[in-house]
Amino acid sequence: MSDEYNQKNTPLEAQSSETISGTPSKDIDYVRPAELPEQDLYHGHSFITKWIFCQDAKVIGIQYFLTAVFTGIVGLVLSWLMRLQLGFPELVPFITAEHYYQFVTMHGMIMVVYFLTALFLGGFGNYLIPLMVGARDMVFPYVNMLSFWMFFIAVCVLMASFFVPGGPTGAGWTLYPPQAILPGTPGSNMGIILMLVSLSLFVIGFTMGGLNYIITILQARTRGMTLMRMPLTIWGIFTATALAMLAFPALLVSCIMMTLDKMLETSFFMPAILQAGEVLNYEGGSPVLFQHLFWFFGHPEVYIVALPAFGIVSDLISVHARKNIFGYRMMVWAIVGIGALSFFVWAHHMYVSGMNPWFGFFFATTTLIIAVPTALKVYNWIITLFRANIRMNTVMLFCLGFIVTFVNGGITGIFLGNVAVDIPLSDTYFVIAHFHMVMGIAPLMVIMGAVYHWFPLVAGRMLSEKLGKWHFWITFLGAYSIYFPMHYLGFIGVPRRYYEMYDSPYVASATGMNEFITVAALIVGFAQLIFIYNIVSSLSIGKPAGKNPWKANSLEWLTPEVPPAHGNWGEKLPVIHRWPYDFNVPGAKEDYITQTTPPSEVISAKVEKT
Amino acid sequence: MSDNSLNNLPGGFKGMSHDMGSDQTAFKGVQWGKVMMWIFLLSDTFVFSCFLISYMKGRASTVVDWPNTSEVFSLHVGDVPVPLLLIAIMTFVLITSSGTMALAVKYGYEKNRKMCGWLILATAIGGLTFVGMQVFEWSKLIHEGVRPWENPFGAKQFGSFFFMITGFHGTHVSIGVIFLFIYARKVFRGDFDNGKRGFFTTMKSDYVAIEILGLYLHFVDLVWVFIFAFFYLW
Amino acid sequence: MDETQKKEQATTHKIGIYLWIWGLLFVLSFFSYLVDWFAFQGLLRWTLILIFMFLKAGLIMAFFMHLFWERYALVNVLLWPMTAIVGFFVLMAAEAKYTVFTRLLYFFIGG
Repeated sequence: MSDEYNQKNTPLEAQSSETISGTPSKDIDYVRPAELPEQDLYHGHSFITKWIFCQDAKVIGIQYFLTAVFTGIVGLVLSWLMRLQLGFPELVPFITAEHYYQFVTMHGMIMVVYFLTALFLGGFGNYLIPLMVGARDMVFPYVNMLSFWMFFIAVCVLMASFFVPGGPTGAGWTLYPPQAILPGTPGSNMGIILMLVSLSLFVIGFTMGGLNYIITILQARTRGMTLMRMPLTIWGIFTATALAMLAFPALLVSCIMMTLDKMLETSFFMPAILQAGEVLNYEGGSPVLFQHLFWFFGHPEVYIVALPAFGIVSDLISVHARKNIFGYRMMVWAIVGIGALSFFVWAHHMYVSGMNPWFGFFFATTTLIIAVPTALKVYNWIITLFRANIRMNTVMLFCLGFIVTFVNGGITGIFLGNVAVDIPLSDTYFVIAHFHMVMGIAPLMVIMGAVYHWFPLVAGRMLSEKLGKWHFWITFLGAYSIYFPMHYLGFIGVPRRYYEMYDSPYVASATGMNEFITVAALIVGFAQLIFIYNIVSSLSIGKPAGKNPWKANSLEWLTPEVPPAHGNWGEKLPVIHRWPYDFNVPGAKEDYITQTTPPSEVISAKVEKT
Repeated sequence: MSDNSLNNLPGGFKGMSHDMGSDQTAFKGVQWGKVMMWIFLLSDTFVFSCFLISYMKGRASTVVDWPNTSEVFSLHVGDVPVPLLLIAIMTFVLITSSGTMALAVKYGYEKNRKMCGWLILATAIGGLTFVGMQVFEWSKLIHEGVRPWENPFGAKQFGSFFFMITGFHGTHVSIGVIFLFIYARKVFRGDFDNGKRGFFTTMKSDYVAIEILGLYLHFVDLVWVFIFAFFYLW
Repeated sequence: MDETQKKEQATTHKIGIYLWIWGLLFVLSFFSYLVDWFAFQGLLRWTLILIFMFLKAGLIMAFFMHLFWERYALVNVLLWPMTAIVGFFVLMAAEAKYTVFTRLLYFFIGG
């Protein structure tokens, strides 16, 4: 019985866990044959085709990772400049009000879009998806390669906006019209145009990449890999990519329309305007339309950042606590449910915008509903840890840090989701504290944990645990020191996007707090140098990792070569018999059973059907 | 051959959960390139939907009257103004090219290279005719004073939405036409039978590529159906 | 090669069905055009426009794009997000009504 692809004899009946027990075959290791012939991979031979225009998803993943981290460092420096102005206004006279708003805008756009989205989807997605589903590469490597270079060009256009006359746009990352394209807002000439062009290029690039991720996961899994046997990392990245495919169009449309408003004086978003005594040519447009379009994109966008983090942290926790993730199926449905619901909550960003007042009822309801599957996931992570064999290493510390900061940020989200509570808190530091906790710190904890976890696979060496623990504690305690006090600033009404406190009642009470937050931010920022040093030095002097140092179950650790070579699996594709969470199964020899272990090898263990 | 058939799989919604619960592929018997084109079209549907929804919102919220589309888009045959004549011809051309494309896909699968190639060229000519008529319409309206920023017929947003939406649609059609010419060449040369590798992607292809291109062109036709209904007729 | 040919031939259809659909699309386009020719107004106009539009779209998707013969998994994955767009449409229609209401209120009655 050949298990290779055989054109004459490829039954299309599905093999799911139910079918396994129902087959008449006595062979308990039976997995149905391949449906499709092997992928025809392109092998580059020159330096350019192997490292620059490379079509190997792993190289592309690293390219995305490095480019995203570069933009993240730019965003980090911008945040230092912002904090310096807020904490010690007299210290930095070169930061004018215009500069401050430009820093705010670029920091926000870079971090949300160019750093987090690119890192999770482009970086982790490209590297892990083919490996975790058992494919040799993405289904369309050429387009995958193009997608990275499109992203790269988008980053170049964005960075170019720093150097044009007028500087980058200072409209806030939300780019609201009419101010964004009118004088008075910094960068309202070239800056905003370059931003809009860069975003459009980003959307086009990520559509190309996203298609690859979705199709590879849906149509290119290996034998035995059902959707419900995929690691939650893949579920998170998959759902996030599906969201991206459906949410980015709204961003593209709003960018195009705003570009036309600026360049051709159309009035899509521009109402009749009186500017310094002069009546402008605009008439009849609707600024709130932009807000609807932007947030129709914007809300799914934050889940595009959060869902991969949810998925990854589930895998990290189960590997380092040596326990199956509690309620895997519900975790999957929660991810899918959060993804679907995320399209129906967008106007909770618009309670004070002057939109149709009845929308508040609808969107507040849906926002509170979306909290339910999210909370379910938090409970399941905690229950996974309960009575587990927890290894308190750096990865686990970052996972615990994620849970704590995400719960904090998530709860403040419930505050803001209610219309009445949102009205006094909107546009205050409470909102800033909320979204930094839930989108900045928590996913960042996951990213760092994920790097400590997968670095041995990518580089073949372990990162230093000692440096890692220093890095964790400074980052975690420091980040809490930055954002927890901000909630109080928000409660007393300190507004966001303010260059300074002016002669306000806040000056006296908020000064000390602002100084403290600034110092904490600078310390945490510089502490990341420990991380960078750890990575760079471990590349040469780190302990060699060998195969599967964490004793994990999922496929990416089971390649014949470490780091995985082009084509990932060598001669034969892997065959899957179980889910990736068989840890500490009663009766098994080891405390883990890899996905490729056939049932005949663990016949004495109480393995459940998955 | 009875094994390798979709008929053995359960159908309907039961089939859907069966397929989704299966290993390897979720969409049975569908080549990955086809699924990729479908998901891309889903994304593009959202793009055009956002355009049309914005148009609806813009038109519904003007306090200035919207131009009468029957009059603005009429052509004069002799002395008689025929409303929406050009649009009707454009619809005819696009539906016809959709039809020739569907036939081209069929002949491609039957490996009838001659019929397939000529039908692809016919589709390309149809697409070019459509774009040409769209350009003519643009020039006629520009001549009458319609601009993206204002127009003599009514609300300012009319010209903005018109040029933006038809421009995007026309661009999509043009890209489709370019690919049609490329594929016509491939078909006539027999690249889909010889397994010739693509110039850029270096991947081998087969006749499913024509079906994939066909999906794109039918999508473009679909968008026109919606634009015709919402923009010109409404 | 032989079997693939048979397999591929099995999935194509007779030319008749394409010609029928083609014809139906022309008929529906003609009806849409008549809506304007007869200058129907108001609810009747909009209902007829929408009906013909969805019929044409449905025919193209089902037969030219082959969805009628595809398995439910693909059809549902494609059609449900498209129906969700209707939700977005409805909300934006409500927003447009509110916008024009506030404009009429403030421009003509005074805020």
